[in-house]
Amino acid sequence: MSDAPFRNPGWAGNTGEFDLSEDDVRGAAYAGERPPEGRHPSTSASYPFMLVERDPYAPLFEGRHKERYEKIRSRYPTAMAALLPALNLAQELRGHISPETMDEVASLLGLSSAYVRGVATFYTMYNKRPVGRFLIQVCTNISCNICGADEVLAAFLEHTGTELGDTSDDGNFTVVEAECLAACGFPTCVQINERYFEDVSARDVPNILKRLTDELAAG
Amino acid sequence: MADNGRKADTVTLTIDGHEVTVPKGTSLLHAAETLGVEVPHYCYHPGLSAPAQCRICLVEVEGAPKLQPSCVTMAQDGQVVHTESAQARRMRQGVLEFYLVNHPLDCPICDMSGECKLQDYVFNEGREHGRGREPKRVFGRDDFGGDVLYYGDRCVMCTRCVRFMDEVARDGRLTVVERGDRAVIDTFFESGLDGASFAGNIVDICPVGALVSKDFLHKARAWDLDHTESVCPNCSQGCNIDLHTRDNLVQRLKPRENPEVNGHWMCDYGRANYEWLNRPGRLEAPAVGRGDKRRASDWQHALHALFERLAEAEGASVRVVGSAFSSNEALDALRALAEQAGTLQAGVFRARRAEDEDPLPGFPILVRRRDLAPNVDGAGILGFTRVGDDDGTGGLEEAADHDGVLIVVGDELADQDESFGAKAGLFVYLGTFDSPAARNADFVLPLTTFAEEEGTFVNAQGRVQRFRQGLRGPGTAQPAWLVLGTLAAALTGGDRPVSAADAFASIVQRHAAFGGLIWEGVGSAGAALEAAHA
Amino acid sequence: MAYPYRHEKETRILSECFGDPSARTVAGWKKHGGYQGIARALEIGRDATIEDVKASGLRGRGGAGFPTGLKWSFMPKNTGRPHYLLCNADESEPGTFKDREIIRWTPHQLIEGCLVGSYAIGAAHCYIYLRGEFFETTQILARALEEAYAEGLVGRDIMGSGVDIDITLHVGAGAYICGEETGLMNSLEGRRGEPRIKPPFPAAVGAFGMPTTINNVETLAATAHIARHGGEWYRQWGTDKSPGTKLFCVSGHVNRPGNYEFPLGFPMMELIEDVCGGMRDGKALKAVIPGGSSVPIMSAEDCRACTLCYEGVEAAGSMLGCASVIVMDENTDIVKQVRRMAYFYTHESCGQCTPCREGTAWATRILRRIEDGLGTEDDLDTLIQISEQMTGTTICVLSDSLAMPIISSIEKFREDYLALIRRGERVGAA
Repeated sequence: MSDAPFRNPGWAGNTGEFDLSEDDVRGAAYAGERPPEGRHPSTSASYPFMLVERDPYAPLFEGRHKERYEKIRSRYPTAMAALLPALNLAQELRGHISPETMDEVASLLGLSSAYVRGVATFYTMYNKRPVGRFLIQVCTNISCNICGADEVLAAFLEHTGTELGDTSDDGNFTVVEAECLAACGFPTCVQINERYFEDVSARDVPNILKRLTDELAAG
Repeated sequence: MADNGRKADTVTLTIDGHEVTVPKGTSLLHAAETLGVEVPHYCYHPGLSAPAQCRICLVEVEGAPKLQPSCVTMAQDGQVVHTESAQARRMRQGVLEFYLVNHPLDCPICDMSGECKLQDYVFNEGREHGRGREPKRVFGRDDFGGDVLYYGDRCVMCTRCVRFMDEVARDGRLTVVERGDRAVIDTFFESGLDGASFAGNIVDICPVGALVSKDFLHKARAWDLDHTESVCPNCSQGCNIDLHTRDNLVQRLKPRENPEVNGHWMCDYGRANYEWLNRPGRLEAPAVGRGDKRRASDWQHALHALFERLAEAEGASVRVVGSAFSSNEALDALRALAEQAGTLQAGVFRARRAEDEDPLPGFPILVRRRDLAPNVDGAGILGFTRVGDDDGTGGLEEAADHDGVLIVVGDELADQDESFGAKAGLFVYLGTFDSPAARNADFVLPLTTFAEEEGTFVNAQGRVQRFRQGLRGPGTAQPAWLVLGTLAAALTGGDRPVSAADAFASIVQRHAAFGGLIWEGVGSAGAALEAAHA
Repeated sequence: MAYPYRHEKETRILSECFGDPSARTVAGWKKHGGYQGIARALEIGRDATIEDVKASGLRGRGGAGFPTGLKWSFMPKNTGRPHYLLCNADESEPGTFKDREIIRWTPHQLIEGCLVGSYAIGAAHCYIYLRGEFFETTQILARALEEAYAEGLVGRDIMGSGVDIDITLHVGAGAYICGEETGLMNSLEGRRGEPRIKPPFPAAVGAFGMPTTINNVETLAATAHIARHGGEWYRQWGTDKSPGTKLFCVSGHVNRPGNYEFPLGFPMMELIEDVCGGMRDGKALKAVIPGGSSVPIMSAEDCRACTLCYEGVEAAGSMLGCASVIVMDENTDIVKQVRRMAYFYTHESCGQCTPCREGTAWATRILRRIEDGLGTEDDLDTLIQISEQMTGTTICVLSDSLAMPIISSIEKFREDYLALIRRGERVGAA
């Protein structure tokens, strides 16, 4: 929307027709904090698995994480079916799926390490190498693309000073291109860790990055 | 199919205008095969599950909206199938073009050249000129460990190798990594296939040159190789194989399908152990005389002299040492001669024995057996007693000191010293290599190996299996059955065997376990010895 | 009341509560008649519920438009084996953003739909396969599901009926192909999300080898309403062949993009010009992709008389798909967008089938070369032939999905390609 007034985007609720807070739109006001042990077994696989705080050597499947894994496992007739959730859990803690992580997950589920590698590399959301504290995924698929997604992507690269897929020197940002994020009516859609930022235009980018660094500073 | 009872189990359909009746549950691909029509295919392999993903076996089935994958489409009554219709041919040409978009076409340096299915199919019905103008994808070469090299650029992603490891070897060490046009076959990073004992099969089933054998790398061109039906000599399973030979040397062993014995497979141990068949320094001509008196001779003189010595020794005590690498024909001829020449005290043989066996989990009939020789069971049935240790040594004390007639066939006596046979009245050594322990032999006669002759072994399942001659023996080396049978015939005045079939017929006559078998009946697939395992 | 815009012409069945956070709770949803659908289904029984859905004429909203009631009726009866319902919430067809809205505004609408579907097909366990990117959306659904469990609406003996239905959230990890139903099953089982060869069909051998039905989010949400009001009720909207209402996801160069709910058969131009406030900046309409990126592209002329129902879009030379209307104005660089789509399908191809693995990647490279001004007219013929070789020759329809935009764009916007090939001019590059 070329002549729209400057807005600080973040969610697609700010068109003036609804009186909603960001938490309302994002659902945070309703969903609340998700406990690490995962509350109900049926929903325990749904914990966000891209957190700012990660430790590549964090112990996996211990303590409350073990509890959560066991809840997840109880929902499937086969151990193999718990593979994606287990990898999600591992990525949540460690930030990426290293060969060592694949190996550990394989032993946990009684699968071969090669099999786990085959599965992990099939899915794009598993980071095969470490990424920045904020993984910025800019949709450049058709609906966003015809509305200027390429410029948004370029702006993120420019303002983070990174090359596509590389992590900024301060370890804060990794910018990648994403396929359709299913928010096509609100272009450009950018996913930053677990959050969707919608209606993003190139000139919004500095504000978004500032918001992220402010959040980091605030802890 | 007039019989109603049988009709229910079969279906009749038309393929390329020919009616064919096949058992229910037969795929269109196999039904076409019965008519001699080969539908091109990559991912389908009869020993593996069928993912129907290569898409080159699509055929036109009248009434179906799309072309159907013939590997997983089951034949149905009244179906009308076209494998050569314009639509099917156009589609195959299209799929072949897709394969060539990124295929390096490095046939001149590819080991698979000449037996490559991509080469064959493109030659048969590919486009005259490729339309690809874009640079090709490059993956490079990956050492999978063991004997296996992977050339990702040549790979057609049929996943036969992954499925073999998963379904047959039950060793999930291979996987497809990544997806789409970035997909390659790999192991878990650098872990490789080391220690896998059946991984060589993935080289065999690779339809192109993506998986190749390091041992065979750039060694020979496929079209220069002669193929001979044979039996793997490296354990008592007796996997059916083809000897691939060139310049009178074995270049490699390849499994030959036999659903009763080895399916489509063989183990890496068996596959790797063929160089001994090419070992130089063989005995090439008969020699006569003990120790320093040994003189080169020829068959006519040597056999004549030996016949006279045997005739003189009539009634003597005879000990024979055979070998589990010798054919049934050789072993029985040895026994017959010994019985003719005197009183047979003992016939013994030695064979190495591995600590454990190694079954192929997804095809458990196939086991790399503990007995690391092809004819341990045959030797037993033919009345030879196993002696010695598991490493194939020892156990020849009585033979070594025997003072009567001593005949050694096929045992190289590697653990024996020069005193072996010193006390023997007559010591005959028939073998492929000279040996320090043959120093006291009155006659040293050169034999052919199993690869240089025809004959049979009995495997651990009690199955008689024939092997054919793939190599020329060195010098004047002869099959043991011919030498021993000729001598026995001379002693009895009977007919001497002129072929392995004659020698086999004599076994059938002499041993109830072989009852009812005929040489031709053993054929390429072998025949079970019913009595042996009754 | 679509979100974030609304329009008075809408018929709001599924989208009634979009933008209303109070409808996220069990109590809030019940105020809108929630959980009456499953209550009535439990009352009238499985077969009658399937009959209702059959009678409604509801067609699958995931893109293929297969009649839902018929699909349910394929499930075997009294097998003594577990049956599964899989809800496909892997929404990833470019241009489609309806399921996310349904889930995040009305999670109980989906939960209720899953209960109706599970009950109808005799499944005691339903998995909702959510695309991994939907972190926020999934949190909302998780909270709602926990509430539903706590209220006895899901789990053992639901609503005191003696029927057990569990619902589990299963989160994917980034793969478009997992939206294909058999790819989804493989992914659920912890495998690479490669589609399976059919037969066997999922109703015979599905997830974990058991009889399985896979339905889209919007489909299941609609069945909650059909179960409540009956099949005939649903037929008051839409056309004979396309009954009911549908969410239209409008994106691209319109003034008010968003989700709008209308009876099927709504005129496309009215949607663009009236409901969506017309073209952005007053530009002229150039092209529309009416059903998500996997359908033939339509020229402005094709759109004039097009009505948005399965048969209407087909008559206009394309497919309704999941009714994701991507609107492009006169400045759109069609060649670039087709190349971007081709790249997408290349990226998302699972790589099993040769025509798809090689064909999508090859087409992308040719399109890139044309875009760079290095193309020839022969390349267009090659592209069309490659596309034909990618159509109907693979296990699933991913490569067909690229073939359609390529073929249709070359047919309808040949001049755009020729401008690049002959003069190096990009249409719409300004």
